Amino acid sequence: MRNQGTQRLTEIVLRAVLAIGVTVALYWAALHTHRRWTWANPLITTTAAVVVVLYALRVPYETYRLGSAVLTYLLGPATVALGVPMYLQGMRLKQSLGKLALVVLVGSLVGMVTAGGVAWMCGASHEVVASAIPKSVTTPIAVEVCEELHGNPAITVAMVLITGLLGSALGPWLLDLVSIRHDHAVGAAVGTSSHAIGTASLIQRFEIQGSVSSLAMVMAGIFTSVLAMVLSWFWH
Amino acid sequence: MRGLSILVGFHAVGLGLHRLGVPLPAGVLGLLLFLAALMTGVVKLKWVERTAGLMVRHMLLLFVPLLAGLTVMGDVLRKDALALIASTVVSLLAVLLTTGGLANLLLGDVVDAKPGDATID
Repeated sequence: MRNQGTQRLTEIVLRAVLAIGVTVALYWAALHTHRRWTWANPLITTTAAVVVVLYALRVPYETYRLGSAVLTYLLGPATVALGVPMYLQGMRLKQSLGKLALVVLVGSLVGMVTAGGVAWMCGASHEVVASAIPKSVTTPIAVEVCEELHGNPAITVAMVLITGLLGSALGPWLLDLVSIRHDHAVGAAVGTSSHAIGTASLIQRFEIQGSVSSLAMVMAGIFTSVLAMVLSWFWH
Repeated sequence: MRGLSILVGFHAVGLGLHRLGVPLPAGVLGLLLFLAALMTGVVKLKWVERTAGLMVRHMLLLFVPLLAGLTVMGDVLRKDALALIASTVVSLLAVLLTTGGLANLLLGDVVDAKPGDATID
């Protein structure tokens, strides 16, 4: 019995070390690739490489998901860690904090209503509508909000990621097109709509935009979870 | 290690409160408590700055296992493909434009403090 238990434990640990080791190594390689070719988004290149490795070694996704569970768990403490940029940027942007909060609150409400509303009008199921509602906010918070609303977290994750990638690629360009160029406005818009992925792309370009964006992103996450709480009282 | 323990601790408290029936997500509860602790000085910024900076900077790494899950979600994605794409694109444009427009109106006159007063890292 003990031997079997030990063997099972060894298996779990080995699986975790392999899954996490491969992911971290590929991520590291992706960061270097990104330095060389800036258009190669590290999240996409890492994930594509992981999928290729899993396919080549015939490892089912479920095995990889269990092995890499620690990485997914860390999204929880990482959400808490967002308190640091929020605190720092909050101190820095003290003078405009109230106005920024108002802007982000309106943006979050627009995001939830349009995402849920459009999915509903397209005839999507309750599950898909619920999964679409939190798609503008940072992944760890979006997943939790989705669960509160009885959605499917897998759908939310996909939508959050696509929103972030599209938003970071198109956001600054679209805003420029309609003459929205003030650093704070661009930061607020990208942070509220495209969360961490959009913020990361802004930080590389303009420090102040990234600063406003990271504050807006965390505010949007908090507002959306509060609004979702109110929504779920009426909805269920 | 101290930084990581603090972040994990706050998340655990958030989980506990959520289990007790507080309707906000665990991570958000942990974040709000952590923010309060930073503002009141219960937690010193220098204890957590390095770890938090590292986690926020490399958060993309943590999304990889979830995104790889798309490979087994073919059916769901196909069934409601139109709703998913329309909802994603329309909502993104709506949020970008309303937030950007309103921010331009309300924050368009903000003059920035010196760069480098505070940084994310």
